[in-house]
Amino acid sequence: MEVEPLAQQAQQTLEQAETADLVIGIVAELDQEAITGVRDALRTLSGLPRVAILIDDRTAQPSDPDASGTSTSPFLVPWPKLTPDTPGTPMLSVALAYQSVFAACEKLGAQYCCVLASKLESTGPEWLRELVRPLVEGDVDLVAPRYARHKFEGLLNSSIIAPLMRCLYGKRIHNPLGPDLGISRRLFQRMTGADRNSGNAVSRGNALASVAPAAVCNGLQVCEVYTGARVYAPTDWTNISSIVAQVLSPIFLDMERYAACWQRTRTSVPVSAFGDPVSVSQDEGSVDISRLVESFQLANRDLQEIWGLVLPPSTLVELRKLSRMPVEQFRMSDDLWVRIVYDFALGHRLRIINRDHLLKSLTPLYLAWIASYAQALATPEETPLEQRLERLSAAYESGKPYLVSRWRWPDRFNP
Amino acid sequence: MWGQIKQALAQSTVQFLTRLATLLPGVVALILALLVSITLGCILAVIVRRLLAAIQFDQLLTRWGLPSLAELSPANSPSLLVSRATAALVIVAGFLIGVAAIDAEWTSLFVRSVFGYIPNVLGAALVLLVGSIIARFLGRSVLIGAVNLNLQYARFLSVGVKWLVVVLAVAMALEHLRIAPGIVKLAFGILFGGIVFALALAVGLGSKDLVTKSLERDAQRVSNENIEEPFRHV
Repeated sequence: MEVEPLAQQAQQTLEQAETADLVIGIVAELDQEAITGVRDALRTLSGLPRVAILIDDRTAQPSDPDASGTSTSPFLVPWPKLTPDTPGTPMLSVALAYQSVFAACEKLGAQYCCVLASKLESTGPEWLRELVRPLVEGDVDLVAPRYARHKFEGLLNSSIIAPLMRCLYGKRIHNPLGPDLGISRRLFQRMTGADRNSGNAVSRGNALASVAPAAVCNGLQVCEVYTGARVYAPTDWTNISSIVAQVLSPIFLDMERYAACWQRTRTSVPVSAFGDPVSVSQDEGSVDISRLVESFQLANRDLQEIWGLVLPPSTLVELRKLSRMPVEQFRMSDDLWVRIVYDFALGHRLRIINRDHLLKSLTPLYLAWIASYAQALATPEETPLEQRLERLSAAYESGKPYLVSRWRWPDRFNP
Repeated sequence: MWGQIKQALAQSTVQFLTRLATLLPGVVALILALLVSITLGCILAVIVRRLLAAIQFDQLLTRWGLPSLAELSPANSPSLLVSRATAALVIVAGFLIGVAAIDAEWTSLFVRSVFGYIPNVLGAALVLLVGSIIARFLGRSVLIGAVNLNLQYARFLSVGVKWLVVVLAVAMALEHLRIAPGIVKLAFGILFGGIVFALALAVGLGSKDLVTKSLERDAQRVSNENIEEPFRHV
């Protein structure tokens, strides 16, 4: 992981500040009032740590009396391009913000850092205090949020990221990619050290995906904090394949990096959670999945030559059967979906085809799984959301021997 | 008269045998050179293949982002391609050495012209190779992009892009080989211009309504997707 060089203006402010115990980067769009709310909330932390809050210099108010002063904590540091203009690449923006925060953390010798990237429904940004509390008051190295979830939100996380990371690294972290994470200096230094030792300059987008694997594989303390439901950006359907590729690529890269670690892990255990679970109302009724199914059917017709390079014949046969199903009976089994994800992870490792092509060709299969998931949740006899997702995670875990076997012996016959 | 015929026959036989006798060492040398070069070529091919296998050349190429080279190689193995190319080069060199043993003057001219043409052949081969890799890459990019945009004619688009690049690469390679350059330029210009003109006509005249409806349908679908569906991904 590379640490961002400090810009001159930020350098001056940080030199005035000299030190801080906690550095917080605010990536979410917050108004002045909300930022004041964050500062007031952070003042109530026990031990009164010195807190530096990085805000984007384009949104900082010059009239704010505290914008340039570092005498009272928490103090604001206008940071150049904390939220970089990278349209269509939300995860990359957050990953780059993490790089900036890590750089400030190093400079100020801070013990903890945190990024606030989300807005929550019906809660002000004060919840950030709850996120950093286990860092400051406990001996925790990674605090991940456990957002209350609506059934059709955070689908990439629910269908791939969380269950895959749980199965690989053995810790049941519900949002391993945050994006709101609290990180200790110890964890940050382990991540930096691992990169230096491996001699690889890991891609910039990788910082966020590496946090949870680095914490777990280095035996550091991980916990979760219950929060409200996160407000998600509306889906840009024309860009969905790029987002899938952008999110999954660093996760698959980390699978190579931490292969020795995850191959030793057999089962998963829950991590300790702070706070009270927040319940949200779920939308009832069915949704129209015909477009998702059509997208999958089209891909099944046209992408066979690409899928055939990655998926074994038995999976291709099952996909063909699935494509012939009517929309109302459309169901993709969890086992099939899990095998597909594992085969794509292996294809990514072996570079069977260009990695971007590979990950983008996964998109129609991901949409097929969403269609199946939405269809299942619409039926009255289906189990509640948490149980449904638990069943998917269990499928990932029971399919792990398949992944390990294919990872170790990729050339072995696979019908 | 019979005596004269016999003498003429004897003279021509002697001349033929003399010519044959002077050529024979050259022919034997050619056969020998070929045999030696074939043997050397095979040995060299085995050595090259083993060396490349030892450094995991096939995997290295894939790691460098050239997996399509494997698809163009025999048995999907670029190592095999390189080793066979090495063997072929040695055999061709042996053949040229053998030919030089028959008639040095003619051979030197031949060899000079062959060697003079080699840069063109290599350049054309390189253009073809790069063109085919780019065509495959762009074809796949267009196919995946179009499928993800739910375009029904994704495959048609992909094949069109792929063949356009292949045709361009072949025209460039033929130009490099100096094979009927005028015709190639003309044919390529007519072909490309024709395609563009046909598309312009299709959009401008005959298929205007069809294209408009298709674009409207696509735009409508995208906006509907944005409005109606409750799915959020990241």
